[in-house]
Amino acid sequence: MTTQPIVREFEADLKVVAAVEAATDVVTLTLAAEDGSALPPWTPGAHIDLVLGEDLVRQYSLCGSPADTGSYRVGVLRAPDSRGGSKAVHAELHEGATVRVRGPRNHFPLVAAPRYLFIAGGIGITPMLPMIAEAEASGADWRLVYGGRSRASMAFVDELAAYGDKVTLLPQDEAGFPDLDALLGSPEEGTLVYTCGPTGLLDAVEERCAASWPAGSLHLERFSAKAPAEGEEDSAFELVLQRSGRTLQVPADKSIFEVCREAGVSVVGSCLEGVCGTCETEVVEGDVEHRDSILNEEEKESNEFMMICVSRCRGESLTLDL
Amino acid sequence: MRDRSTGYPRNAWYALAASGEVGGTPFGTRALDTPVVLFRISDGSIVALGDRDAHRPYPLSLGHVDGDTIVSGYSGFAYDRTGACVRVPSQAQVPYGARVPSYPVVEEGDLVWVWLGEPSLASLRHPVSTPWLTDAAWETFGGEWETAAGVGLLHDNFADITHVAVVDPVISPPALAGVAPALEVELTETTVHFHRDWPAAPLPEWQAKVSGTPTTASYPQREEGAFLAPGLWADRWDVLVPAEDGGTQTFRFTHAVTPVDERHTRHIWRVSRNFAPGAEASDALRPIFESYYLKVREILETMQQVIDRDGYGEDVNVAADLAALQVRKILRRLVADEG
Repeated sequence: MTTQPIVREFEADLKVVAAVEAATDVVTLTLAAEDGSALPPWTPGAHIDLVLGEDLVRQYSLCGSPADTGSYRVGVLRAPDSRGGSKAVHAELHEGATVRVRGPRNHFPLVAAPRYLFIAGGIGITPMLPMIAEAEASGADWRLVYGGRSRASMAFVDELAAYGDKVTLLPQDEAGFPDLDALLGSPEEGTLVYTCGPTGLLDAVEERCAASWPAGSLHLERFSAKAPAEGEEDSAFELVLQRSGRTLQVPADKSIFEVCREAGVSVVGSCLEGVCGTCETEVVEGDVEHRDSILNEEEKESNEFMMICVSRCRGESLTLDL
Repeated sequence: MRDRSTGYPRNAWYALAASGEVGGTPFGTRALDTPVVLFRISDGSIVALGDRDAHRPYPLSLGHVDGDTIVSGYSGFAYDRTGACVRVPSQAQVPYGARVPSYPVVEEGDLVWVWLGEPSLASLRHPVSTPWLTDAAWETFGGEWETAAGVGLLHDNFADITHVAVVDPVISPPALAGVAPALEVELTETTVHFHRDWPAAPLPEWQAKVSGTPTTASYPQREEGAFLAPGLWADRWDVLVPAEDGGTQTFRFTHAVTPVDERHTRHIWRVSRNFAPGAEASDALRPIFESYYLKVREILETMQQVIDRDGYGEDVNVAADLAALQVRKILRRLVADEG
């Protein structure tokens, strides 16, 4: 008799108790259990999945307070190039509606540090709000540079006003793009850089930090997958599942995640494009070709964990703790 | 070889004591490698201070409580609830800046939660509620002691109960004798829940006896475990007895674990039940559970000795370890976040 364990994330139908327009095209939703019971705790940088339909699952950062155990708050931008997620949120999730929520999970945790530089672009402000509250409470020295298309498009400006000149607002139509060379030109020992926003901003910040900042300084979160690097070709390899005592073959056209699912091995996954971190798995042996957008260079080199939805094996065999 | 120890986060609420342990007599303890004294002041609230007189290296817990202050049993220095020294016997002027650390305290659900991490973050987190420990619908007994083993070994133990049948065949429900059904694990960012639905089996003899349920009948049973915080497990065992035979019999097992240091853990355990009320049943049940938890303590202490002697090994994990591995993952991350 097989006794393969089943693993999944917390899931619940939550009620939209408030839906408020926070800026042009941005709605903030407050979600709570129908019976008011406590929701799973979380820490700054965490996100949840909103299950908006079959094959329509989107990740949104929690932007309320972790001290509020009764509700979750998310901010959702109606993206002009929406693949359906944000459009569905804006069209359907009015006050009183119900939505399936999964998580929370966190691959953008706030690591304790004496100083922080937060760089937010547009809706990328959402994970920064609880981070800032925590940095402020812990007495850290911090500043936030927050860019957006226009003042009217920038959510949570009123909440940020309380922090005074620690916050620099840069509406693009008034002030242009953030001057990243000036912001990141001289690396500071002990400062952590946190950034979230459009891919262009993240790539630019990443490039500058990689050039001169100490390894591990930069923390970023992507909600869309990074473009694949040139010359990444998929090949087949052998997959050994240590705990289950099984060996599977991963063909070139399938992911580890898919092969495990088909073989009846319970693995947990969500975005399946290497951005949400749900499928993180411990590597026992083998050379991993990391293709996710979550692990930083140091973590990738350590070869301890991998995202099995997109990452593969460079050699002929890979052993995982599954 | 990888370091298999996970350590423990400091930025978390830990239950340093049960409510009943703290009164007008100072209660000295140690948590996260820090000496702490707990005492109750006139309004009934509990104060947590560093357990070391600012004047000489002498524990305040060996002194006494005087009104809303605690007085050192050597220097006679008195400290208020904020840890500030407010009186010294030898001079009128209180030495400037003389104080001991004070820590945020929340007393809830029969547990005394203390925050020893970054003080300003305490208000951004809540201790986990354990309302069943004080709810009249649940009858609770328990104990508390120190286990000479790192907290990680206690987490691993609570994350999987399939060892119970091996460790203590008397307490073990007959259901455990069969092959374990699939473990279902549910994750959030900082918690791990798991459960198994066991096929119908008789009650263990001792449970049938206290509840007056026939030993011959079989009932489906459900096991649940929950790692709710770095310092708290809340597990339960449900025997689905039909209403006409008295209804579902549930045990809730609460384990508050506080790292004393890398190799020692304070363990407050509570067993709550929603059936067979009364002191007589409690008196019959207590020795059964106490003897099991003592056996577990002895085993975990032996494991710690093996680690101390021979280091962490490449332990072989099995399917049933899934929850334990997820707990380790959460703890590793929380520790890493503390920089």
